[in-house]
Amino acid sequence: MEEVDNIIIHTLRQIGCNLNESVLSLKEFTTDNVIEATSTCLRVINDANQFSRTLPPSMSARFRLGTGLAQACQELGFNGVIGYQTFLYPTEGDIRTLFMFLVERLPKESAEAADEPMGGAILLNRRIASELSKILAGTWIPPFCKRSGICWSGKDGKTWHREGVKGVHPFRSSPLKYPKGLGDLTRKISKDAKQYYDSSAMPLITSQPPSRHNISDSILEANSLKVSSDMEWENEWNHSGLASGLTPEEYKAKKQERLLKKLSKNIQAEVQKANVESSRLNKQDFNEMIREISEQNVSAGHEHVGSRFTRSEKLQFTQDEEKELAAVAAMTENAGAKIDTEEEIQARRKEEIDAMQGRLTELTSRLEGLEIDMRKFTATVEQAQEQTEFLQRKNKEEEDAYKVRKRTADLLPDASNNIAKLETVVESSSTRLITLAKQWEEHRKPLIEQYREMKALNSTRLSEAQKKIEQIRNLREKMKETVEEVRNRDDLLKDLVTEYQNMVKDVNRSAYTKRILEIVANIKKQKNDIDKV
Amino acid sequence: MLLILSQEHKEHLRLLSDLQVEVAREFCRISLEFILKGSNPKIYQTAAQKLGVQVNQVKQAVEGLVYLFNESSRLMIGEIDFQDSVMTLGFSEELNKLLLQLYLENRNEIRRLLGELSLELSHYHNLEWRFDVQLASRSLHHQTEPQILLKLHTKRQGDTDSQIFQTDPVNLVHLTSELENALAEMKTAHCRRIVRNIK
Amino acid sequence: MDINHDAQEGLQLCGESVRIPEKSFKKLVEITFDIILGKKDETSFDASNTLDSVNPGTLKEAYYGLVTLVIEAVKTDSSLTDISSYLEECKWDSDRIEYLNKVFSGTRPDIQALLSSTRTVFPHIVDVDWRLDYYVKNKYLDKVNKPTYLISLKTEESNKNGYSDVEFSCSMEQLQDLVGKLKDACKSLEKASQM
Repeated sequence: MEEVDNIIIHTLRQIGCNLNESVLSLKEFTTDNVIEATSTCLRVINDANQFSRTLPPSMSARFRLGTGLAQACQELGFNGVIGYQTFLYPTEGDIRTLFMFLVERLPKESAEAADEPMGGAILLNRRIASELSKILAGTWIPPFCKRSGICWSGKDGKTWHREGVKGVHPFRSSPLKYPKGLGDLTRKISKDAKQYYDSSAMPLITSQPPSRHNISDSILEANSLKVSSDMEWENEWNHSGLASGLTPEEYKAKKQERLLKKLSKNIQAEVQKANVESSRLNKQDFNEMIREISEQNVSAGHEHVGSRFTRSEKLQFTQDEEKELAAVAAMTENAGAKIDTEEEIQARRKEEIDAMQGRLTELTSRLEGLEIDMRKFTATVEQAQEQTEFLQRKNKEEEDAYKVRKRTADLLPDASNNIAKLETVVESSSTRLITLAKQWEEHRKPLIEQYREMKALNSTRLSEAQKKIEQIRNLREKMKETVEEVRNRDDLLKDLVTEYQNMVKDVNRSAYTKRILEIVANIKKQKNDIDKV
Repeated sequence: MLLILSQEHKEHLRLLSDLQVEVAREFCRISLEFILKGSNPKIYQTAAQKLGVQVNQVKQAVEGLVYLFNESSRLMIGEIDFQDSVMTLGFSEELNKLLLQLYLENRNEIRRLLGELSLELSHYHNLEWRFDVQLASRSLHHQTEPQILLKLHTKRQGDTDSQIFQTDPVNLVHLTSELENALAEMKTAHCRRIVRNIK
Repeated sequence: MDINHDAQEGLQLCGESVRIPEKSFKKLVEITFDIILGKKDETSFDASNTLDSVNPGTLKEAYYGLVTLVIEAVKTDSSLTDISSYLEECKWDSDRIEYLNKVFSGTRPDIQALLSSTRTVFPHIVDVDWRLDYYVKNKYLDKVNKPTYLISLKTEESNKNGYSDVEFSCSMEQLQDLVGKLKDACKSLEKASQM
């Protein structure tokens, strides 16, 4: 029984019972010990069990406590004989069975938790402690001896801690640009882009931030920005992109189009709304303004034309003044009339122009009248043609009718014979029709079947494709989950390895195994003895 | 050290020697109130009427007392020196005792008031501290950097001011030991000799 | 360690011996680390002949990938095995991976220190100066006779060269209070270091 007692006492100590070092077996347990051990066990098993751990002085209170404990044990499923007397007047055998039962019922987690308190918090505390003791071991150095506030230490001078904030600066990032897609030979890059990448117009990534301090900031920012946008794209592609059955480029183009349409629609709606609100007042003004502007334009055009005309006229006159004058003089001389001044010439020309214009308008109006006449004539010609066609058609129809009538008239004399002939003809044609229908049916049947087959095949293929897409999606999700899990497992492994390294090799375990082996040996011995008997 | 009173001052205080002790006590009360809370000219008027003297005389007497108390407090005149100094005014025994008693009672309060007037630098009021460990920052995850945040409250003429500083363990230890040295310096023989000698 | 696709492409370029030959690769890695640590600047790219054989655009993209990898790896404190397996994914051969790891492990603490200097801080106390006066008298009071300490805290601030001084005075009692509180802080640090 010694081994059992040892295990029980060890376990009781582990859950926080205040047992004297000298207590080695359950035989030595006092009433106090029993009460404390039982109430502690019950508390560990179920937090709701809150019994006093010490023996109260008054007899009635002791009785109450004993009964309470006994009841709690029975509620837990203890089958043995139990009552207040078990606790107040303990016998070795009774409490051994009781404690064996209770120790078995102790939650495993609590035991494990007590064994391995290596949570993240503890690790963190250890990390802090070791860092602190390392730092505190150092001596103080005047600040001007430290390069940018950092104190290097360690054997190889490769560990550091901060003792000042010289050279410290806040996080400030700026956008970066860099060549893209040069590694992928399948993707085409335009010549201009390539030239730009190769030229000095595209600076190296580290020379882009305005200050050298902020190089790392900008790079980190650019990276996390791109990573998150990549991730978002992937999510979207998995959710809606794959199902659409388009290539990524097409999908993107489509999305862009959709968004643009939506944008323009919204903008238009807003503009319209704004217009409706202010239209009544403004519309008229606006229209008037437009009219004014157009009128101005028109008049300006006229002016322009006029001025150009006059200018060129003037130019002509000034340039060829002498010649003109001479010519005019000659003309006037020849005509025997008085010498005309320029104004007169102009006036005369104007008159001439007016006369000409008058004739021109007359002629055009006549031309127009003639054109109208011509159109009228062509229309009548068309009408006549149509009529002829109609008449011709009628004529033909009537001719056909005449022919039929003529044949029936011819057949009339030998009526019975001819009727029989006709009937045979009708019969033969009907049989031919039937055979034709049969033939058609023969052709049709396989075709229809084929069509149906194809249709079914198509639908199954479609559903299969959908299934596959679904599968792909699932796989992707699974992939992601697995990656996540692998990462978690890696972390766990790391933690566990450090934990393992830090762990003192467990003594309890070896003690336990040793005891178990002893028990096994004892049992063997007993068995042998029994066999002997 | 005796307080040397000017002739004019003595003139001003002469009024008191003619009065009964009870009235003189009232004068003393008024002058102490003057020091602690400020003057009250109305009282002069009524007192002058009651005693049948000029207002100016009353005022001068009160102000003379004020000056007497102030000067002796400023110079931390001892008990015996004060008695000797007052003796020259030729007051009655009873009045002298009264003055001494009032002086001793109010000296600390008057010195406190005078102390408030003196040049004052912003001085330490309180210090709060907090121990932080920086575990990560935006550009560097996985750090373990102990830091101590200090909030220093200082006071100057009743205005409190607080500033926040940070420091690292090594500098904190250095700061503490340096200031401990400063404290210890007061206990050295050199400093003690000076303290002893300047009295 | 999360590296975006563009940078990953740059890293793949970096591992292609056709585009970036062995010699140029080593030079590129060397220059990259020197520039990150501020030992050299970008002109060393033009100064180096070994990099002439590489197409400038390719070089820029590879450099971008490399810089991003180094800074991101230091930021997340990624282990060398993590980096190696990542670079294997980028199809680097083992020689290049080994070379990078060698350079990287030698400079990692320096880059950590560099990245740790991006932060916001309060004025950092780096030293203290003190003076002990014996306050004798002033205009209004004689025989004050008290020891007075004048204390000046030297602080460093970010984005500022040199030190700022914060001055205040202390009576004996006040200094005792101050020292007591500082000692408390020291003690709690020691306690924390022994956990």
